[in-house]
Formats: sequence, C-alpha cells, structure tokens
Amino acid sequence: MRKQDTTGEYAIPNVDARVASRADELPMDSDAFAGFYQRSAPALRAYLVRVSGNPALADDLTQESYLRFLCASRPEGGEVNYRRYLFGIATNLLRDHWKRPHAACIEDVPEQFLAARDGLANLDSQAILDPAMARMRPRERQLLWLAHAEGYSHREIAEITGLNAAGIRLLLFRARRKIARLLRKQMDADRRRA
Amino acid sequence: MTFRTCSCESELMQALKNGHWPEGCGAELRTHVDACGSCSDLVLVTRTLQCARSESERAVVVGSPSLLWWRAQLRRRNAATERVSRPITIAQIFALFVYVFVGVVFVASQYRHGLRWASWWAELVPARTFHSLRSLPAGSAQVDWNLLVLISGVGVLALLSGIVAYLASEKS
Repeated sequence: MRKQDTTGEYAIPNVDARVASRADELPMDSDAFAGFYQRSAPALRAYLVRVSGNPALADDLTQESYLRFLCASRPEGGEVNYRRYLFGIATNLLRDHWKRPHAACIEDVPEQFLAARDGLANLDSQAILDPAMARMRPRERQLLWLAHAEGYSHREIAEITGLNAAGIRLLLFRARRKIARLLRKQMDADRRRA
Repeated sequence: MTFRTCSCESELMQALKNGHWPEGCGAELRTHVDACGSCSDLVLVTRTLQCARSESERAVVVGSPSLLWWRAQLRRRNAATERVSRPITIAQIFALFVYVFVGVVFVASQYRHGLRWASWWAELVPARTFHSLRSLPAGSAQVDWNLLVLISGVGVLALLSGIVAYLASEKS
C-alpha cells in the first residue's frame, strides 16, 4: 500500500493535482526508497570517492544523484536497473563537475590529487590499492571500479559512461594490466619492508 | 601492448563475480590461472577491488533517506510550479508586446496628423468633456469619441490576445 504523503499540507493548490498525478507514476514510495537507498548508497559513494578522489565531493554528488533519481522517470526492470541508472546519473554529474571552469578536465588532473582520502587508508586492501589507484587515470579507475568492484558487463558500463562498448574492452584490458603491474610492485615493496 | 584475451576469462570472471573463486572452481582453472598472465591479472585486480568495495561499504555511514525524499518532493513541486506559471508569463509578455506595439502605432498616427495632446486630455476630464461636447462642433466630438473607442478596442484586443497566448502555451 502506498504511504500517505505527509507533505501534502504544504502543497500549492493549483499544482497539487499535477504533482499527485506524477507521484502516482512513481514506482517507489518513501519506504521502498529508504530500503533502496540503504542498499545502494554505500556502493555509489564508494564509486564516487574512488573515481573523484574527493570524499566531500562524493557526498555531494551522491545526494544529488538520488535527488535526480527521484525527480526523473526511472526505467523499468526493478532494482538492478535502478542501480545502473543511478550510477549513470552519478557518472554524468562527475563529468559535469570536471567540465566546469573551476575544475580541470578529467584527463588533466594530476594523479597525486586524485588519490582517495576517505579515511580508509588503514585498511589492508586500501593500503595496497591506494598508491596503485593514485597512478591510474580517472577514466581508468572508473572503468576498473565498474567492471571489477561493481561487476558490470561491458554493455552496462557503456550505458553508464556513454562510451563505446567495443572501446571499453580495450581500455579495460589496458587498465587492468597497468594496475596489476602496480599492485604487484606495491605488494613486493610491502613484503621487502616487512 | 598486445590485446589478447584468454578463453577462460569469462568463466573466471563469472566465478569471481559470484564469489566462487578459488574454492568453488576446478583444479584445472586454478592451474590455468597460475600459468596465464591475463587471468592472474584478472584475479588480482578483481579480488583487490572487491575487498576495497566491501571495506568502503562497511566503513561508510549514509545520510537520512527521509531528508532526501523530502527534498525530492520539494524539487518536484518547484518544477511543477514553474511549469504552471510559464504560460502566464508568456501571455503577460505577449500582451505587453501588443500594448507597446499599439502605443507606438497610436503615437505615430497622432504625430502624422499633428499633435493635439493638450486639447485631447482636457476633453477627457468628465466635467469639461460634456461642456466641450456641447460647445464643440459635432465633427470634432465625433473624432474624440472614435479615439476613445479605438483605445478601448485595442485594450480588449490586447487582453484577448494575452488570454489566447496563455491558452495556447498551456496546451503545448
């Protein structure tokens, strides 16, 4: 059963009918959204932190992604499609952020400024991954995270990023080889230090 | 750099995605991964990123979904208000444009026939208008009444055109 809209008392009378008709089209009520948010928000934030390298920006973009998700007409197909759609929104927001004049282009940002600093550096995998990720290009991180952390197929990554599916295969192959080399080097260095 | 994918990649990828690697996989695949550079890269990268993802998820405390829900409702309402008020704004602009156009035409026509503003305004005052109507020749009063009718007609036309513009833009 749909939950009663408690904000109705503040509704603008002339607009209320239109809003109500639109709200009827939404396949998600506030309880369903709360559940979806709890399940998907940590993964989305982790993606944004890892790709942007900026936890504060990742928090802002996570919020904005959900707001746009709630205001837009969402695709059919349930939560799996909702998640993919959400990652697409977040990717576009990230791209818009990089396009703005105050920020540099995705490819021009010096790598040392893009290392994730989300307070997780003390964790084992973060300690190995951070230096390696810091030396990857943001686009490579994006592809690696979507493919290997989120488990999306090339076609799904193409939908999220707007890149060519055929090109993703090659980009991902190169990125994987590069980060694997960096990870091995990092592990060797850690072993020698130990 | 050569672009060579291994035939076992999709099987291995699926095993990693489902969390079956390494215990849930056959000895043959495990032996292959030890020998194949591409597959060992795949295992190393996927496992590391999966660990990083789960650690990140555990460490993050997400904000309140209720607040987001409320903000989204507010944003939707604002968008709807904007959609509703747009036709009114268009109609107002259109009516203003008609008024200005008619005003310019009127001033131009008056200028062409010689400016008689002082006498015209004096006749618009009610007390004096009746006096003037009685004292002035019939032809002159007829011209001024025509002018008033013309101005009223133009006003009604502008009003109606504004309403038409409003209805048309609301329909679109």
